[in-house]
Amino acid sequence: MKTFVLVVNRLAWFVPTLLGLLAIVFFISHVIPADPAAFVAGENATPETVAAIRARLGLDQPLYVQFWRYILSILDGDMGRSIYTGRPVVEDLLSRLPATLELTLVTVLVSIAVGVPLGVVAALRRNSWLDHGLRVVTIAGLAIASFWFAILLQLLFSMRLGWTPLGGRVEGWGPEQITGFYLIDALILQDHEILLDALQHMILPVVTLAVPATATIVRFTRAGMLNALQSNYVLYETAMGYPRRLVIWKYVLRNALIGTVTQIGLIFGILLAGAVVVEAVFDWPGLGTFAVNSILSSDYNAVMGFTVIVGTMFIVVNLVVDILHGMIDPREVR
Amino acid sequence: MTERLGQLLPAGIGRRDLLKAAAAGGAVLGLPDAALAQRGGGRIVFANGSAFDTMDPHATFDVGRVAYRLNLYDGLMRWLDNPPQLEPWLAESFTVSEDGKQYVFKLRAGIKFHDGTDMTSEDVVYSMERILAVKKGAYPLFALLIEPGSTKTRDRLTVEFNLKQASAIFAATTHDIYVVNSALLKRNERNDDWGQEWIARNDAGSGSYILRRFDPARGFLAQRFDGHFKGPAALSEIDFRYVAEVNSRVLGLVRGDFQGTDPYMPQDQITRLQGDANMNVMEAESTRLFYATMHNQRPPFTDVNFRKAVSYCFDYDGWINNILGRSVVRNTQVIPNPMWGAPKDVAGYTFDIDKAKWHLQRVQVPLREITVAGMIGYEQSMQAAALLQNGLSRAGIQSKLLNEPWPVVSNKMRDPEQMYDMLFLWRSTYYADPHNWAGELLATERHRGGNASYYSNPEVDRLLAEALAVSAQARRAPLYEQVARIAAEDAAALFIHNTKWYGPFRKNVEGVRFCSIGDGQEMRWVRVT
Amino acid sequence: MRRILRKLAEDRAALFGLVLIGLLVLAAILAPWLSTHPGDVTEFHTAQRLTAPGAENWLGTDRMGSDIYSRLLYGARITITIAVTAIAVAVAIGVPIGLVAGYYQGIGSELLMRVSDIFLAVPQIVLAIAIAQTLGPSIENVILALSATYWPFWARLVYAETRSCKNEPFVEAAIALGCSPWRVMVLHILPSISSSIIVRTTIGMGGTILTAATLGFLGLGPPPPTPEWGRTIAEAREFLPMAWWYAAFPGLAIFLVVMGFNLLGDGLRDVLDPRLRRAARHDK
Repeated sequence: MKTFVLVVNRLAWFVPTLLGLLAIVFFISHVIPADPAAFVAGENATPETVAAIRARLGLDQPLYVQFWRYILSILDGDMGRSIYTGRPVVEDLLSRLPATLELTLVTVLVSIAVGVPLGVVAALRRNSWLDHGLRVVTIAGLAIASFWFAILLQLLFSMRLGWTPLGGRVEGWGPEQITGFYLIDALILQDHEILLDALQHMILPVVTLAVPATATIVRFTRAGMLNALQSNYVLYETAMGYPRRLVIWKYVLRNALIGTVTQIGLIFGILLAGAVVVEAVFDWPGLGTFAVNSILSSDYNAVMGFTVIVGTMFIVVNLVVDILHGMIDPREVR
Repeated sequence: MTERLGQLLPAGIGRRDLLKAAAAGGAVLGLPDAALAQRGGGRIVFANGSAFDTMDPHATFDVGRVAYRLNLYDGLMRWLDNPPQLEPWLAESFTVSEDGKQYVFKLRAGIKFHDGTDMTSEDVVYSMERILAVKKGAYPLFALLIEPGSTKTRDRLTVEFNLKQASAIFAATTHDIYVVNSALLKRNERNDDWGQEWIARNDAGSGSYILRRFDPARGFLAQRFDGHFKGPAALSEIDFRYVAEVNSRVLGLVRGDFQGTDPYMPQDQITRLQGDANMNVMEAESTRLFYATMHNQRPPFTDVNFRKAVSYCFDYDGWINNILGRSVVRNTQVIPNPMWGAPKDVAGYTFDIDKAKWHLQRVQVPLREITVAGMIGYEQSMQAAALLQNGLSRAGIQSKLLNEPWPVVSNKMRDPEQMYDMLFLWRSTYYADPHNWAGELLATERHRGGNASYYSNPEVDRLLAEALAVSAQARRAPLYEQVARIAAEDAAALFIHNTKWYGPFRKNVEGVRFCSIGDGQEMRWVRVT
Repeated sequence: MRRILRKLAEDRAALFGLVLIGLLVLAAILAPWLSTHPGDVTEFHTAQRLTAPGAENWLGTDRMGSDIYSRLLYGARITITIAVTAIAVAVAIGVPIGLVAGYYQGIGSELLMRVSDIFLAVPQIVLAIAIAQTLGPSIENVILALSATYWPFWARLVYAETRSCKNEPFVEAAIALGCSPWRVMVLHILPSISSSIIVRTTIGMGGTILTAATLGFLGLGPPPPTPEWGRTIAEAREFLPMAWWYAAFPGLAIFLVVMGFNLLGDGLRDVLDPRLRRAARHDK
């Protein structure tokens, strides 16, 4: 029952949040620019085109009418056409979504695999040289500009040493499209060559993206562990003579991990944002590269479409994480 | 006609060039196509710096995206080799009427499209009408010359073009009348769109290769068309990848992921590739003018003294000697030096801030901050803009830089309202005739077409019209020389240098047949060993 | 206050952060005197382009032959201008909103918080890109884009702190004594929550500098010849791997400065944040 209330509660907030996101994007695209029609037209269209677009989109109407229409068109899956590719923005974005999802999902897994143990160790050996070292390293990981780090990695591993490919998702055209996730497609097709190749192409982008994500996970896991270690029941169990190791595994880690799970939403956000530049540096054919190309081409519809898609994904992830968290930890229900 | 392989040497072959070509194993001459077919397979992966956003042969005109036009489609005539020769291609011959206004082209018999349909004169007519209707790509070449509906078929293989006035360059531009499969396209028309939606991602050609895969984010993959009217091409597959980053292109070439790439990169990278033992950076004299437009219709550029002042602000020597490492030659006027019709006596402008200031004091209109644009992805263009800005500020002219990608730039060029004050770009060869530069860049009738400087001078217009009305090169040459002199004196635009072509390929690539039209991207004769 | 400084002085990492920030400020102020080629923000020496680091050009030269070291120093000015102004604006918007919304409860506050939640629901860089793209590349627009996307952080924080603070005895006493709401907010609540704001602002500086550099890298920052660090790295890419110094040093500068703010912020949080302080006491 509690879970049901939680789900309903969170879903109830989902719609206004989404509307709010659309409102912000609407504000940016329709209110900030001096001539929105020129922006929708792509800033480089002829005056006739601009005039036609103004009439077609009803930009002479009051703002609330425009907003209403905007929402209807987005719900209809219409984000306009890309000036650059000439295709509907939605199609372009969806065709690039699997590449970005694959990259971010692999990065999340890698970050958790590395970050959680490090966080646990840092908490257990609080104030040791390891803890202090990790503190500086994680702060550094959050301070590094991902586009610069990406370039440094390329410079060293691709250009100087020649160990990794410089960019791209796979050499050649990739496996036959089944899911769009190359790793999964290659597994389904049992094509080990492509699988290996795809993995090689992933190394540098994943490392670049994983640095800030791992740093975040280490810090949260450490904080969660410390909190749990100092909680009364742990002190009690220890006082009752339970072996410390058992207490840690059984109670502390579980509670600390719940804290980490709630941060995955945040980490996903970091990754989606990071993907914008990291993908562009590594020529990764995902949403990020698409966004950067659109920025460079002043492809207005595409940039706004990208904002809506990424914002929506972010909101959905947070929603799912919230609900999951509520299920794991019933105390969270408010 | 015998096809020649490995022909990338200009008429004046230098000893060094010859040795190079021999070293590259590219000097296999006189091999007929039939022999090629037996060599069978092989593929080339070519890294392209420009994205292929469409596969419509009538939608683009730039060199950056020329590969699909040349390899998937055929034109009536085709420019080949260097210096470029206009060779019969789909058409086996053509005749011109006495008054120079009617051209009759005779198609070869037995030409097949990729789907097996026979090509007829109907397809040529449809293609011409399509170019005029779609109004993209090569449209400006024909817009003023050919009325929609005026092109007619005489019989299955004969087509007549009826020009509004005589034009000495019409035949030269038929390279760009890419013939599409009209029956196929008509089947795929939607709302009278001339099949634009469909052909943007599909193939309706007769060219040496058939489109197999296309993804704007990746590029295109094409397979040999064994039924090509000139016999099958040498390679069984060509893979043109869109690789945005110069570094990825260079490194991929060095690693062997790519066998060739385009030369649009800083000269420093070319130099680096030249030092690599596995590379064969081909070189050829070319006719490609690097220049900057000046918006002649917008003050203060309306004042000739301002344009001259700006012309004195560019560090030509620093540009050519230091930034481009002497890889190019100064071109003081509009027509590339090796082209006939280029005057040899134009001293041009130098980097001279004192002279710039002298002219600036004589400017009659109010000064303002000007916008200097470069093209993203074309490092040289952005660098030249920065270099000019530096000179301008020393002369006391305020300016701001703006870098935008080619699709945006090309749209703005066509609109005098939106065109930048100045823009650094190249004028490539689309047809080997001085009119390709002097006419396209300076004629008033080419406003919104090639004349992005929106320069207008009645005397120049008169000379250009006269040069088009006669056909003898001996009579036309002095007219173009005169146009070039006037434009230089008017400082119609900022003329900088004529490029040299560098073709970065791996050593195992043979048979690249460079032509300044298409920049050597036609893969028909290429072999990879 | 002295206690805080003493505790901070014990935290070597935070001190190091402070030193890095100090260096940035010094570099910005003293750029004309520290630089070896002060004119090279605008001057080119094409004959010396892409020279490796050496005696004449300590950190090498760029594609136009300008001294990278000198341009980095002047770039510090841009970085400081952008970060300080953007954060100041964000704080100036976020703090009052948070205060008012936290103090008065009701539909209005709820709405304000929902709006800031929505802003927080989209990755900052994505919104900043959308705004900067709309406005066009310039320093002012980068500042606008950043402050428009960062204010909700302060609004959220101040809102939460204000609400918990409102039930504290000293605030209730002030209200009981008949202080005007304005007086209570500014003179009683704000000082007691200022430490959280300071921590958040310090860390926010780092994030803002990173985002600004990213915008610059994407070509949405101030246009050339401004020696903005992010754009310099973007410029350098075409000349790799030959001119490694061209890309390496501007990135290093960004890294050190952001690191400085993050270290200091981390140290400040340990010292200032009462909850963490409590945790620390448990530990000893």
